[in-house]
Amino acid sequence: MGEKLLVEGNDAVGYGAVEAGCDCYFGYPITPQNEIIEWFSRELPKRGGVVLQAQSETGAINMVQGAAATGARVIITTSGPGWSLMQEGMSNIATAQVPCVVVSVQRGGPGTGGMRQVQMDYNTTVKGGGHGDYKNIVLAPSSVQETYELVQLAFHLADKYRIAVVVLSDALIGQMMESLELKKLDFGPLPSKDDWVVTGKAYHKDGVKHMSLIVQGVPDSPYPTWLSFVKHLNDKFEEIEKNEVRYEAVALEDADLVIIAFGYVARISKGAIKTLRAQGLKVGLIRPITLWPFPKEVIRKVGERGVDFLVAEDNIGQMIDDVRATLYGHGQKEIHLLSILDRSGTADGALIVPRRIVEECQRILEGGKQ
Amino acid sequence: MAKGEVIINEQLCRGCGYCAHFCSRGAIEIPGDKVSSQGYSLPIFAHPEKCNGCGVCGWLCPSFSLEVYRIKE
Amino acid sequence: MSQTEEKRVWVSGTPRLWRYYAIAARQCAGCHSPIVERIICEVVSEMGIEGNVICVTGIGCSALANFLFDFDSLKVAHGRPVDVATGVKRALHGRPVVFTLQGDGDCVGIGGGALIAAASRAERITVIMANNAIYGQTAGQMAPTTLLNQVTTTSPLGRDPEIQGYPIHAAELIASIKGTSYSVRTAVNNPTNYQHTKKCLQVAFQKQMDNVGFGFVEILEACPTLWRMSPMESLQWLENEMMAEFPLGEFKNVDKI
Repeated sequence: MGEKLLVEGNDAVGYGAVEAGCDCYFGYPITPQNEIIEWFSRELPKRGGVVLQAQSETGAINMVQGAAATGARVIITTSGPGWSLMQEGMSNIATAQVPCVVVSVQRGGPGTGGMRQVQMDYNTTVKGGGHGDYKNIVLAPSSVQETYELVQLAFHLADKYRIAVVVLSDALIGQMMESLELKKLDFGPLPSKDDWVVTGKAYHKDGVKHMSLIVQGVPDSPYPTWLSFVKHLNDKFEEIEKNEVRYEAVALEDADLVIIAFGYVARISKGAIKTLRAQGLKVGLIRPITLWPFPKEVIRKVGERGVDFLVAEDNIGQMIDDVRATLYGHGQKEIHLLSILDRSGTADGALIVPRRIVEECQRILEGGKQ
Repeated sequence: MAKGEVIINEQLCRGCGYCAHFCSRGAIEIPGDKVSSQGYSLPIFAHPEKCNGCGVCGWLCPSFSLEVYRIKE
Repeated sequence: MSQTEEKRVWVSGTPRLWRYYAIAARQCAGCHSPIVERIICEVVSEMGIEGNVICVTGIGCSALANFLFDFDSLKVAHGRPVDVATGVKRALHGRPVVFTLQGDGDCVGIGGGALIAAASRAERITVIMANNAIYGQTAGQMAPTTLLNQVTTTSPLGRDPEIQGYPIHAAELIASIKGTSYSVRTAVNNPTNYQHTKKCLQVAFQKQMDNVGFGFVEILEACPTLWRMSPMESLQWLENEMMAEFPLGEFKNVDKI
């Protein structure tokens, strides 16, 4: 049994990263994830790693690009406003195809927003975020333990596909304390980095110069034309969509209404489902763990049974568009939305409470009757 | 005096004139009536006997059109 | 020619670390950028570091250097080479010689924040700034180092200090930062300055290898095409106008910070 600790979700990021053999951390302070940069500043140098607080998130993401091009395992963490600053970097990383892990701990937006949890950064993370046609793999934890495990998975997937992997956390998961059991996860073998790392010509196995480029279709680029590179990216994304979907299904087999939710809203939904099932209402849950690639198959399969869906998300409606697109032509009755506007209370930290989800499910299943 | 040799690549030359301008011995000249297929006014190694292989023209050529050699006695 | 073949020694022209085919495609007549790239190749070759050197370029005319150098390099976004170089150097625990090759806007305009932060951190990298007082690759807009009254496509009536301010002097600015070990301004407009620039780069790389601090080399370069001059006229303008605004000199040189 691994060592057990009582930690915040933010600290779990650090534990997960060192478990995965993280070499470098670059970042910048921003609420609500300052605990992460502070954790790394204390703990990573002790393990021989490199930590640097950059002059801005823009600086930090470019340091990540440089370090990742040398083959190091690199992580950067931020929140919404910093994520916005990093978008040029994310687009460049997608072209340079250097693997890295980004943890974004969502807070209220847009602008400075609030300091507490939201799920408002779904679109910007899942649709690429910066200019150009690309995707990041996006993993959404809903507990401290899962944050720790998904960070390890993130490093593995990043190296496997030479892609940026975003772990989409939020202020609630980041700041709450739960028990964490330390265990190193093994996800299998990875391809070698030898033929592309930029470390100095004498240090390459093939002895020839390597270039890391944010432009393709140029002399010595592995892709003869820019369009051939676009096709390569498309092939890569299709492979990821085929192989890397992850989700959790709760009480799906006989459900008449299926909630689709991620992160902490999924946990709240699980509480609501307990209450509903006790009342005899057959409600289930699909919790996407990979927001991209989106778990389309399981949603379509369930949709073909003719069930209703309730998309519960702490924003004004983002994932619901992906659910609608997934279900188009696959038979469903209606896709309902439970949004941030259904929170109980107007304070920054107000939540969507289980009672609200129960009410909404009752309304849908009992056709408006009390 | 050492002797030198300058080989001019007429395909790459862009006719900037630095080589003739910086040659301290007048070994390279731009006659004005010798034009490359790209339309550039080409230099010629007009006075090989004046060249001492100092290499300055090769240093300052932006288009890598000159190779300078020193001939060992 | 053939009987002197064995007795010939190559002196200058195409340096050893150059990938030949890419050259012909790009040079403007009289451009100083490839002259600087030749110097870099010579210095890397003579110091024996070609297997342990990494160049980071941004966006601009000097940014085509990646395809010309026969050693490792990265090409990154406009204004970002200094940060990427920081990541490369630190991830490799300081082992390779890491330098950037940037234009004036890339280095001190959009990249200004990163430049000052890296100098303050005494980052063990060398930044080479190609200063031609204009944006070359995008065909002639104003740069942070554009001179007063200089006509560019975004200062068509000449740079007006009331609207567009004053040119920035990067070498002096960086010299004022404690973490800088070496800050110099040089040029390649004649053979003497060519050799002087080569010496400056050797000093800068040596200081990096000696782990002293941040190194900065600003090189004034002629840009005949965008200055709308002939190569000979551009040399005149560089010597008369640019050197008056941006005097050559060594602004900081310490062996220990």
